[in-house]
Amino acid sequence: MIKEMTKVQIVGPKTHRDRCIEILHELSIMQIETVLEEKEGFLKKVPVEKEKLEEKKRLEKIREALTELLSVLPTPSTAPPLRLKKQHIYEEFERLAPLMERAKALYREQEELKEELEMVSRYEHLLRGFVPLVTALGGLKNIEITGLVVDRTVPDVLKLLEEELKRLTKGAYEFHSKVIDEDTIAVVITYQKKYSPQIRHIILGEGIDEIRLPQDYREMPLFEALKEMLKKKMVLPERIESIKRELETISQTHRPLIEGLKRTVEDAIDEIEVLYYFAESRFLFIIEGWVPADRVDHLERELKGEFEEDVLVQVLEPAAEELDRVPVYIENPPYIRPFEIFLRALPPPKYGSVDPTPYVAFFFPTFFGLIVGDVGYGLVVLGAGQFIKRRWKEREFIKNAGVVLSLCGVSAIVFGILFGEFFGTLPEKLGFHPLFERMEGLKLFMLFTLGIGIVHTALGFIIGGLNLIKRGRTEKALEKFTSLILTLVIILMVAAAYNYIPEGLLTPLVVVFIAGVALLLWLEGVVGPLELVRSVGGILSYVRIMAVGTSSVVMAVVADRMAGMSASIFTGILVASLIHLLNIFMTFISPVIQSMRLQYVEFMGRFYEGGGRLYRPFSRR
Amino acid sequence: MEKGLIAIGAALAVGLSALGTGLAQSKIGSAACGALTERPELSGTMIILLAIPETMVLLGFVIAYLILG
Repeated sequence: MIKEMTKVQIVGPKTHRDRCIEILHELSIMQIETVLEEKEGFLKKVPVEKEKLEEKKRLEKIREALTELLSVLPTPSTAPPLRLKKQHIYEEFERLAPLMERAKALYREQEELKEELEMVSRYEHLLRGFVPLVTALGGLKNIEITGLVVDRTVPDVLKLLEEELKRLTKGAYEFHSKVIDEDTIAVVITYQKKYSPQIRHIILGEGIDEIRLPQDYREMPLFEALKEMLKKKMVLPERIESIKRELETISQTHRPLIEGLKRTVEDAIDEIEVLYYFAESRFLFIIEGWVPADRVDHLERELKGEFEEDVLVQVLEPAAEELDRVPVYIENPPYIRPFEIFLRALPPPKYGSVDPTPYVAFFFPTFFGLIVGDVGYGLVVLGAGQFIKRRWKEREFIKNAGVVLSLCGVSAIVFGILFGEFFGTLPEKLGFHPLFERMEGLKLFMLFTLGIGIVHTALGFIIGGLNLIKRGRTEKALEKFTSLILTLVIILMVAAAYNYIPEGLLTPLVVVFIAGVALLLWLEGVVGPLELVRSVGGILSYVRIMAVGTSSVVMAVVADRMAGMSASIFTGILVASLIHLLNIFMTFISPVIQSMRLQYVEFMGRFYEGGGRLYRPFSRR
Repeated sequence: MEKGLIAIGAALAVGLSALGTGLAQSKIGSAACGALTERPELSGTMIILLAIPETMVLLGFVIAYLILG
């Protein structure tokens, strides 16, 4: 239901302004709007005071610091944020300062260590190959040790390299190699330092990669660097883990306070930012905004309780151009509220139009139940709905989808009892006689779904028409009702042609039809009669309830029959289970989409007007 | 002979309208995928658009049912 809204103006002496803002913030019922300036009059938008702006800057800095702190703390704590008073912001923030420094330093260290560990790990396979070689050669002075990585797939490189070394150093060298993996060989060569430039020149010329050590190790001799890296590899994970634990402990103990403080800071910023919407005269402040009509008294009482007669609440008559901008506040009883998720796919309804939620809450599960109509499948859907509702109880949208699914499951169970179906037509085989057998009464079921289509579409037209009358748009309402009558007349004409109703009615129906079409042409032009075709097609498309439902029954029956045909009872059960499983999977998709489509296109399409602005009261976070 | 023709007629009514629906849905589906990568919030509208051509095959089904009597 879209609640009625009232535009109110609050006027009071400037001395009460800040307290008044606090009360409005606490009440959380008023959507504050900009007060228009009077060019010639006394109402002016006064710039926000300097000290308020400075305070806002300070608060924004605190918010930034808290956001940064929260981003470095792991595992959100399950405890709810603490509620703090605005006056305690600076004091609490001061108290958090050492903790903040500690957490940030820990996080920085953790990131650096992680990076180092990753880098050392990249060298791991090389280290493993080199360490035994280098250890054997370590500790020699005036001797250069060079580590190389040679591509195994290039033939004869090692041989050529060794020949060159022999020639340059006149045999005074050591050459060791070790296969590291399929493609690489690690090579360590040792030689006198004086040959270093020539040997490096050869290495470059052969296109062989020399091991390039990370920045921190570049100055160290290869042997030392490798030893150091191996040592790091051993100790880093332990240190990282201990930092992680410390950060977790900080998060566990302080997160509620940090989150609570952040919210309080954000609320305080909101209370300064809201000043931009106000207007002031020399002594007075003026606030304007929208309040649900049934809460105006409450607002008046609260302000009177605090300021007695000093602050006044006046109800304003909104200007005609403002009516399109009235915020839309949708409030439904708790058992219908989960169905508001269907509005998420559409732009919010316009103020004064109709909220389809209560109707959808009835028709959506009904159509789903009619399509599925099986106690067994219904139980599965009900179970899945309950699971979703409990598993994601923190997430409003998913939880509501779970509730909707549960109700769909209940509806499927009810219709399942009516149709005598439990995982197909099992009950019938056991001797139960259903009240209505879908597979036998296809024609009747089809006519029944068409009947539902007529009622559902007509209801859409009537809701739309009545709402238009209420809003004084009688011509549009007349169009709606003419379309409805003509749609019904067309269906009655078809019924008369097929002798479902007396044939004699055909002539008067044709007369009404011609008159109606003429009226519609006059009201809407050519589009009107064209829309009629869509309406009739729409009603016929309600046959989908029967068609999709029947296909689901057939699948279930096939599953049961195949189980019966199998020689072994286990294979039979397995095959039946697989087909039922597929059918259950389809049950979650097809009937939901079909039922949803009927709501959106055939029903809401007749009256839903989007383009509204959702009600967002000035409230605490 | 007549029975066979009736059956063929019914099959054509369902089969051709199913082809039409499939053709329309394939185009809507690919366009929807493109639109959803840019604006995921349109998913609800896209499901509705995708379900609209199904009316054709349902009408085909009704006609087939009427033909078969």
